[in-house]
Amino acid sequence: MSVAWAIFKKELRIYFVSPLAYVFLGVFLLLSGLFFYLGITMTGEASLRVMLGNLSIAFLFLLPLLTMRHFAEERRSGTLELMMTAPVPLWALLFGKWAATLALCLALLLGTLLFPGILLYYGDPDMGVVLTSYLGLLLVCGAFVSAGMFSSSLTDEPVAAGLLGVIILLPFWVAGSAADMVSADWLRRALRHLSFLTHIEPFSKGVVDTGALAWFALFTFGFLFLTWRSVESRRWR
Amino acid sequence: MKQEWRRRLTYGTNAVFVTGLVVGVLVVLYLLADAYRVRWDFSAEAGNTLQADTVKKLALLDADGETVTITAFSNQRGKDDSYVKDRAIEDLLTELDLESRVLDWRIVDFDRERLTAESMGVTEYGHVVVQRGSDRIDIRDRDLFRRKGRGADRQLEFIGETALSRALSQLLSPSRRVVYFTRGHGEPNPSERGPGGLSELVSALDVERFDAEPLDLLRAEEGAAPVVPEDAALVVLSGMRGPLSAQEEDVLLEYVGRGKPLLVAVDAGAPVPAFLARMGVRVPDGLAMDPTLVFPYRDRPVPVYKSHPVTDGLRESGLVTVLAAPAPLSLVEPSPDGVRASPVLVSSRDGWIERGGELEGGTPIYQPEIDGEGPVVMAAALQLLPGEGIVRSSKPLARVLVVGDSELMTNALIGDGPGNRDFMINAVHWLAGEDNRTGVVTARSASSRRLALSQDQTRRIQLVSLTVLPSLIALLGLFTWYSRRGR
Repeated sequence: MSVAWAIFKKELRIYFVSPLAYVFLGVFLLLSGLFFYLGITMTGEASLRVMLGNLSIAFLFLLPLLTMRHFAEERRSGTLELMMTAPVPLWALLFGKWAATLALCLALLLGTLLFPGILLYYGDPDMGVVLTSYLGLLLVCGAFVSAGMFSSSLTDEPVAAGLLGVIILLPFWVAGSAADMVSADWLRRALRHLSFLTHIEPFSKGVVDTGALAWFALFTFGFLFLTWRSVESRRWR
Repeated sequence: MKQEWRRRLTYGTNAVFVTGLVVGVLVVLYLLADAYRVRWDFSAEAGNTLQADTVKKLALLDADGETVTITAFSNQRGKDDSYVKDRAIEDLLTELDLESRVLDWRIVDFDRERLTAESMGVTEYGHVVVQRGSDRIDIRDRDLFRRKGRGADRQLEFIGETALSRALSQLLSPSRRVVYFTRGHGEPNPSERGPGGLSELVSALDVERFDAEPLDLLRAEEGAAPVVPEDAALVVLSGMRGPLSAQEEDVLLEYVGRGKPLLVAVDAGAPVPAFLARMGVRVPDGLAMDPTLVFPYRDRPVPVYKSHPVTDGLRESGLVTVLAAPAPLSLVEPSPDGVRASPVLVSSRDGWIERGGELEGGTPIYQPEIDGEGPVVMAAALQLLPGEGIVRSSKPLARVLVVGDSELMTNALIGDGPGNRDFMINAVHWLAGEDNRTGVVTARSASSRRLALSQDQTRRIQLVSLTVLPSLIALLGLFTWYSRRGR
């Protein structure tokens, strides 16, 4: 566990000593502010639903950019070989990197707490809904970071890894829209199950759903497992 | 080289197999979690949780197994509240879908899919079509939303669950049934729209797929004795100003003897059917009074609900039924053979039967020497067992509901008492033997939390959210970069 903790701290330090995290945080907060402003002016409601819904889609494009260098960069610079030969358990490496990126996401989300504050000042937002919405977004982050890490483990080009991450995640977004276009009932239901929007939706209206919790947990675990298999395959390829 | 490839093939095959296995297990785990999902609603007033009555109706539809299709057409884009309306409908349909195996729903963009709208005969925004087999129910925008309050406090209230629950109720009764209202004794007219008429009750019954027909027990075709028609799902004997003839009493007793249901609403000081005494119900002189629960006068008591299928839903939803100058009822102890009587509406413990005497500040007061002691029964449900008295042995159990007020179902009071309409609908369902159809679905009060912002406030929010926060982060980034320069 101490190895995972050391990797977690190292990754987090890398984020915050480089301008990358700040650029990322700035862009993210600008987008959040835009979604927040549009949301309240469009609906006239003391609600973050529009902002949080759009942020989950923005994460689909932004988080692979955060995770793209996790393995791709290490592979290109040769440090991955060092780690693979060092007495570092692979799970500790994966978990440390994943948790560090999730911690950065948490910092991003904390930055948006100003918006519920504005709503509290001017109106009467449903705080139960606000809290579950943030929980949902954190689950989205955990899931997308794991998928981004998997894409990063497939190539040694960080930019290609970022693009690949978006490509991997896209079907989980468009499946929701596709579901409304198909007529076959079984296919529509299957596509709805596949879409992350279906599973974020209960959180966005104040409901904690164990089915949705399981989807995010299994999605995260699944992509972390694929990442582990992908990194581990370097030992015999 | 060959060995190298063999090694890769072995490891590769193993990796693919294990990965496939793990992914398969994850999918199975998700399907199990989805099938046995638990939901906790943290929103204010648990606004996403379906009401018990809706869940009950969905369970009945599930038991039938036939697919129910709900097609919701979007509201006009860009128009006031269209976003809130579309979202409210979608949220409700999602919740209904999670609760049912037979429900299939979709949202249709009215502007983009005009052909779909045309093919379904839909010509307006925000229309919802509920279908099961050849049965179809149309719900309009005005049945789904209503405006509440005035001026700046004017709010949009979502009453979609009530409307959809009603539609599901209609699907559960594919054929129409007939409720007969007796006439000829000064009873209120079912088709009259004035305060003394029953048109609102008849409209509510129509939604539940009951037709209202008049019943004249004095007139019959030549040579034939008057009789209650075979297709009667219920006979309502309400608000008589004149007594029933012996012939009418016999006809109604014969009807109940067939195991058929009867609703009797009597008024204080008005004639009472003689057969009620045979059923163990007496109507003492006087008025039922209640000093604690009144709406808003003592002669308009708000009765306490006793546990009964007719009142359970009303009690859970907190809707009160209001009676006007009700007649007190008395249930004979012990009940006659073959009769099971239970009070449904009673006064509070402080209630009494007012029989005149002194007034205090213009209102009646309880005087033990003149008045009757409370609590007072104001409605009672009777079940008449076959073969033990009135109902013939080969017939099913008959249900009779006796209410000490006929005014509660008139247009004057049915909308005044928040629970009057549901009380009557529940009563009709219970009498018709549809215990599982009794229940109440109330409107959601807080559908949207409005944010009334002035132009100045909007500008301030724009400035803070789009400029201040990102600039602060940019400054922090610049500081970090500057402080680490040259390291």
